[in-house]
This record gives sequence, structure tokens and C-alpha cells, in this order.
Amino acid sequence: MGGAGRDGASREEERLQIRAQEMELIREAQAGSRAAFDALVRQYEHQVLRLALHLTGSEHDAEDIYQEAFLKAFRYIGNFRFECSFYTWIYRIVTNLCLDQLRRKKTRREDHAVVLDHSGDEIDLLASVSDNRSFSNPAKELDRKVLGQQIQAALTKLTPRERMVFELKHYQGLRLRTIGEMLHTTEETAKNTLFRATKKLRAQLAELR
Amino acid sequence: MNCELAHERIVTAAYGELPDDQVHELERHLGDCADCRKEREQLLALKVLADALPVVEPGPNLIARSRLRLDEALDALPPMRWYERLAQRLANNVASLQAAPVAAALLLVAGIGAGSLGGYEFAANRTAHAATAPAPAIAAVKTEPQPAIAQPGITNVANVSSIVRQPGSDMVEVSYNQLTPEHIQGKLGDPAIRQLLMVATENSSPAGVRDDSVGLLAAECRAGHGCQGAGIRDALMVALRYDKNARVREKALEGLEPYVAEDMRVRNAVLEALLNDSDPRIRTESINLLEPVEADTSVRQVLYSVSTSDDNPHIRNVSRQVLSRVPEIQ
Repeated sequence: MGGAGRDGASREEERLQIRAQEMELIREAQAGSRAAFDALVRQYEHQVLRLALHLTGSEHDAEDIYQEAFLKAFRYIGNFRFECSFYTWIYRIVTNLCLDQLRRKKTRREDHAVVLDHSGDEIDLLASVSDNRSFSNPAKELDRKVLGQQIQAALTKLTPRERMVFELKHYQGLRLRTIGEMLHTTEETAKNTLFRATKKLRAQLAELR
Repeated sequence: MNCELAHERIVTAAYGELPDDQVHELERHLGDCADCRKEREQLLALKVLADALPVVEPGPNLIARSRLRLDEALDALPPMRWYERLAQRLANNVASLQAAPVAAALLLVAGIGAGSLGGYEFAANRTAHAATAPAPAIAAVKTEPQPAIAQPGITNVANVSSIVRQPGSDMVEVSYNQLTPEHIQGKLGDPAIRQLLMVATENSSPAGVRDDSVGLLAAECRAGHGCQGAGIRDALMVALRYDKNARVREKALEGLEPYVAEDMRVRNAVLEALLNDSDPRIRTESINLLEPVEADTSVRQVLYSVSTSDDNPHIRNVSRQVLSRVPEIQ
């Protein structure tokens, strides 16, 4: 059999091995091992923070969501029954917390492309990422900054659920099926929500022209 | 396709979630509809615009701070008391039981059936001379004669040592090893026979046995006998991908033929064989199998790749011919 076939087999084997290790960690954590739970936290904390940070636009809120999500996971890990992947399970907790946060913020959201750091100072999201197309061109950089603020303003006009589906699909690159599982709904519903979100965003951005 | 549906599909296509056949349909619609082309341009523009709001990776300080806070909170939690653990375990068991009523009902029915049949056999033996035998408690119990060595379920199969099909019938004799060698005889459709044939497809079995088992399963699939479930199809896909013996892989490929059009997983396995299999016969056979579904973009891509880079000139030629018959090919 060809080399690529063997590669495929070994990749699959490796994937299964990682999965088995994770299942072992989950079982140990369910039996009360704090070290096993910490290892699980290390595996997922980066993704959790990235999602929360982008959705809430605040380091402080992202930190709160991280804290609450993993405390919940620790408290209820005994209820995890391996019916879905741990990744889906932990993301489900995080998306629920983010949805609550978005609903709370919906009425008092300000339209800034900035995040607040731990001490409450503003960090400019757009300034923190270099753009190769416009480096050393302040005019373009400014345009991009304004555009980013407009995008963020348009995103706040979506319902929390539409915002979440758009976030998970566009920014986090998840499959619609996974998004459906995370939000306790079907792939079809997630698809329709994405469609509505893109329609609204286009209308919002057309107004800005 | 109407424009409303096309608008929905433009979004799913832009995010890579539209099945290949629907992409093809959409492209045809877009070719004729200027409004929908505009819709697509606007959506693609939105995607570019949305990227102006970057996803920021959390910095090491944020991660460290969050971790520290969580550690403190976890340390402060009181250890779970034994009754809390017990309650959680009970809750889990109750939850898993909720998923089991169907299985429990089936087990109950099977138990009643087996018990009734046993009782019936016992009573029939004891009253062998009586004119009338007692009626079984459940009329629906299947009473057709069972093969002499048939087993309700086969466990602990170490390997399958031989498979012999009786000429001119669908009876198969499978010898397999548990702690001691055993053999079983039954029809091809018997679940126990099927189970053993599936075990025999694995690489740990001798090459001849794999050849026999994959050949029989493939023939069953081609004849459309009980191959709708994923089990046998999966076994054939594994054999096609990983079996060391080219003859076995070839048989597996033949067995998968009826499902190339309908099952994307089968199509992917055949595409992998076309790209990677070391045997030119299997690669050539794969092209023939894929010909009816050449409109699938992934199939076209693979055919294109093979037509330009395969070592074997015959295969390059055949794939080029197939491609030339498809007008959509670039």
C-alpha cells in the first residue's frame, strides 16, 4: 500500500491515541483528580479565552467567563457521559456564558473596536494586529481602524444568537454541525441563523456607505 | 433553483459548507442570474470586511492571570463529600438508564421468547407421543430450524482460520479460534457468519482468509444483500485502504462499487486508492468506478492530479480521457 495510506493510518492512530489519553484524563478528573482536571484546562484554555475575548471585547469579561466556565466544568464533570466530545461540551458551557454576557450587554454596548484590559485601560484591537498590506501607511491604517469599528458596531446589532453563530463560523471557523451541537440545535437552524446574520450585517454595513 | 434558495446556498458555499453537487447546481444558476452574482459579490465583500475586525490571540499575561484566579477558586472549593459523589453517580446512572428503555424492552422480549422456546422444546420432548403439543406462549417466536452449531453470539474470537463456501449454495463454513479452535456453519446472511467474516477482513488474519472474507462480503454488497448498514461497508473501506494484499484491496474496491455515487465516505476511500494505491490495476479500476460521479469537484481534482502526475502512462491516459469527456473540466 502507498506511503500516503500508511501516513493516513498512522495519523488516525495518533488521533485515537490522543483521544484515549483525553478520555483517561476525563475519567481521572471525574474520580476527583485535580491534576487531571488541570491538564484538561491547559488543553482548552487558549481557545476559551480567544472566543470570550473576541465576543465580549473585554479582557476582564473574558477572564470572568474563563473562570466561570472551568469552575462549572469542574463541578459538573461527573455528569459528562462521553456522548459528545469534551471539546463540544466545554465550548457549550462557554457559549452559554457568552450568550448570557451578550444579552446583558446588549442594551449598553458601546461601539468601539477596543478591548478593556485588566486594569480597565483600553487596548485597541486593530492596532494590536499588524497588517502587511498597509504597514507604514498611516492613512490606510486609519481607514482599517474605522472599518473595524464599523464592523463591531454592526455586530452589536445582531441578536446574541446570531452574533454567536457568526462568531463561531466566521471568526472561529467551526463547522455548522458542531455549532448546532454546541448551541443545542440542528445544523439546519445554525445555517439559517448564519444566513440571517449575514443579511443583517450587509444591511448594516450598506447604511454606513 | 430559485433565487431565494440560491441566496442561502451562496452563504453556505462561501463558508465551505455546501455539498459538491449543490455547488455545481449553484454555479449553473449563477451563470444565468446577474442578481445572484451580485448577491455573491456582496457576501464575499462582507467576508473581507468582517476580517477587518481581527481575532486577537490571548496574551500570556491574560492566560497566566486567568489560570491563577482559577487555581485559587478551585483551591477554595470545599472537597466534595461522599454523599455528593454518590448523588452524582446515581444521577449519572439514572441518566444512562433513560437511554436504555428500548434496549431493556428488547432484552425482555428476547428473554421471554427464548424462555418460551426452551419451554416448548422441553414439553415437546416429554410428550413426544402425545397427539397435540402445547402451543408456545408467544406465537411470534421464530421456530424455523436452526443450524446445528449456530451460536446466539460469538465472543472472544482470536482469529478466523479458514472460510469455505459450499459450491452451488449460500452455505459457508467458517473456522475460527477462541481458546480452542471452533467452526460454525450458516448462511451468508446469518449475523454470526457476518460477524466472523468481518473479523476475518482484519490484517491480523492470514492473507487467504482475508481474500475469502472480503470477496464474500464484496459479493454480498454487489448483490445488494444487507449491505445498507455501515458495518460491512466500513470493513470494505478499511480493507481497501489498509490491506497489505493487492488482491484483497481489489475485491474490496469491487464490493464498494454500488455505493460510490451515494456515499461520500466510499467515494473518498476510492479517491484515496486512486491517488495512493501502489497497484496500477487498482488505480485504473478506481478511475472506472469514479467515472459516473466525475461531476463531483473533488473527483475532478483527483483525476486531474492523477492525469498529470501518476507514474503509470496508461493511468495518466485513462484519467485524461475521462476528464476530456466532462465539459466542466478546466
